[in-house]
Amino acid sequence: MGVLLLAGTRKGLFLFHGDDERSSWELEGPLLPGWSVFHAIRDRRDGSLQIVANNFVYGGTFQRSDDDGKTWRRAEGLALPEDSELKLDEVWHVEPGRDTDPDEIWLGATPGVLFRSDDRGTTFEPVQSVIEHPTREKWEPGAGGMCLHSIQLDPSDPKRMYIAISAAGTFRTDDGGESWTPQNQGVAADFYPEPDNFPEVGQCVHKLLLHPERPERLWQQNHCGVYRSDDRAESWERLEGNGLPSGFGFPLALDPRDPDVAYVIPEEGAENRVTPNGRLGVYRTDDGGSSWALVSGGLPEPAWGAVMREGLTFDGSGLYFATQSGSVFASTSRGEQWTEVARQLPPILSLEAAEWS
Amino acid sequence: MVVVLLPSLLATQAGGQARFELEAATVGEALRELPVADLLFEGGELRRLVNVYLDGDDVRSLGGLDAPLAGVEEVRVIAAVAGGLPQGGRNLDLAGADPVFDGLQRVDVLLRHL
Repeated sequence: MGVLLLAGTRKGLFLFHGDDERSSWELEGPLLPGWSVFHAIRDRRDGSLQIVANNFVYGGTFQRSDDDGKTWRRAEGLALPEDSELKLDEVWHVEPGRDTDPDEIWLGATPGVLFRSDDRGTTFEPVQSVIEHPTREKWEPGAGGMCLHSIQLDPSDPKRMYIAISAAGTFRTDDGGESWTPQNQGVAADFYPEPDNFPEVGQCVHKLLLHPERPERLWQQNHCGVYRSDDRAESWERLEGNGLPSGFGFPLALDPRDPDVAYVIPEEGAENRVTPNGRLGVYRTDDGGSSWALVSGGLPEPAWGAVMREGLTFDGSGLYFATQSGSVFASTSRGEQWTEVARQLPPILSLEAAEWS
Repeated sequence: MVVVLLPSLLATQAGGQARFELEAATVGEALRELPVADLLFEGGELRRLVNVYLDGDDVRSLGGLDAPLAGVEEVRVIAAVAGGLPQGGRNLDLAGADPVFDGLQRVDVLLRHL
C-alpha cells in the first residue's frame, strides 16, 4: 500500500504515486488540461477520483473517474434555480458522504451554495435551505468570491453537519439540512469597526475542520485568527498570541489520531499574503492550540510562499503542503523535516493524500 | 445536416469527439444536442464567453440561438479571447456589453493599462 497525492492546479490535475516510506514519487499528469482544479480527492468508499474544476469560459464542474484518471465523467450541468436570482460561479470543494451512504457526495460553490448528490455524482441538487437562508442578505463575498469551501459531516450524528462560507461564517444543521444555525460566537470580523466586529454572521472563515475522533471539537483558520471549539461550534476560542506569527492564513490540517494536534501555515496578513518574515513553514500545536511552534527543517529559506486553503493535508503518517509557486513538500516527521516532492508545477490550489495500491 | 466543430477542451469533454454531424432547425437546437451542452449554456442562454459562428458569422448578429440552420454548412464553437479577464470574470460587470466580444476587448485593454 502506497500513498497517492492529488495536486489540483490552475492547469489541470497532477498525481504523485509514493511508496510506503514516502521517499520516492512518480508523477502522472497533467490530467484534465485546461481546467482549474480547485479540489481533488480519492473517495475512500469506492476508490474513485473526484474533482471540482472550473474554466473561465465553460463554468464549474464536478468530474469523477472510476479508472484512476484515465477517463472522466462530468456531472450533469450544475445550476441554481432560476427563481433564486443567484448565478453559479466556481465550485470549490468536494466532500464524500458518510460510509453508511455510499452514493452521497457534497459540493460547495460560489455564491455560498451547497449541492448534494444521491447518485455518486451523476446529478447534483442545490440545497434550498442554504440558498434561502434568512441571513443571506448579510453575507459578503471575500476576495475569492462568496465561496462555500468547507463541508464537515459529524460521524456521531447522521443529521448533523457543518458548512463554512467566506464571508458568511460557520453554520450547523442538526436536522439533516432542513435548517442551518449560524455558529460564530466569539469569532471576530475585524474588517468591521467596533462594536460591530462580532456579528451573528459575516465572519470570513478560511477553512473549517472537525476532528473525526472527537466530533464536538472543531478548528477554523479564519481571516481574523485561528479558533477552536469544544462544543460543536457553539462558542469559539481564539488561539493566537502564543507562538503564531499571525492569525491570518488559509490552510488547516488535523491529526486524525490526536485531537490536540493541528497545523496551520500563517501569512503576514490580509494586506500581504505571504509567509511571515520570508520563512516558509508549518506551525504545529500539540496542546490544543495553547502553544504553537514552527516546524520547517529542510524547507527553502528565505521563501515567500503562499498556500491555498486546500493546500495542506495530513494522512496520519505524512504531512504535505503545496504552494502557489508550484512546489509540493512532504514530511514523515510531523513537519520536523521536509523533502520536496515536486517543483515548478502550475499554481497549486489543493493537495490531498489517499491510500493507493 | 450541419457540421458542428468544437474546440479541444470541449472535444475532450465530449469523449474525444470534435466534429458532430447533426440535424437541427436552429443553432440552439443543434448545440443542445451536444454532449457538452451544459458547458455552453447558462440560464438558457449562451455563456457570455462562448462564441458561435455560422459559416463564419457571429450567431449573436444572426438572431442568437433561434438563428435558422437552413443553408448553413458549419457551426463552429470558439471561446472568446479574454486574455485580461480574471478567473471567472469576477467583479467585472460586463452586463450590457454588446456584442460581448467587443466588451471583453475593452476590458482587456483597460486591464493592460492598469
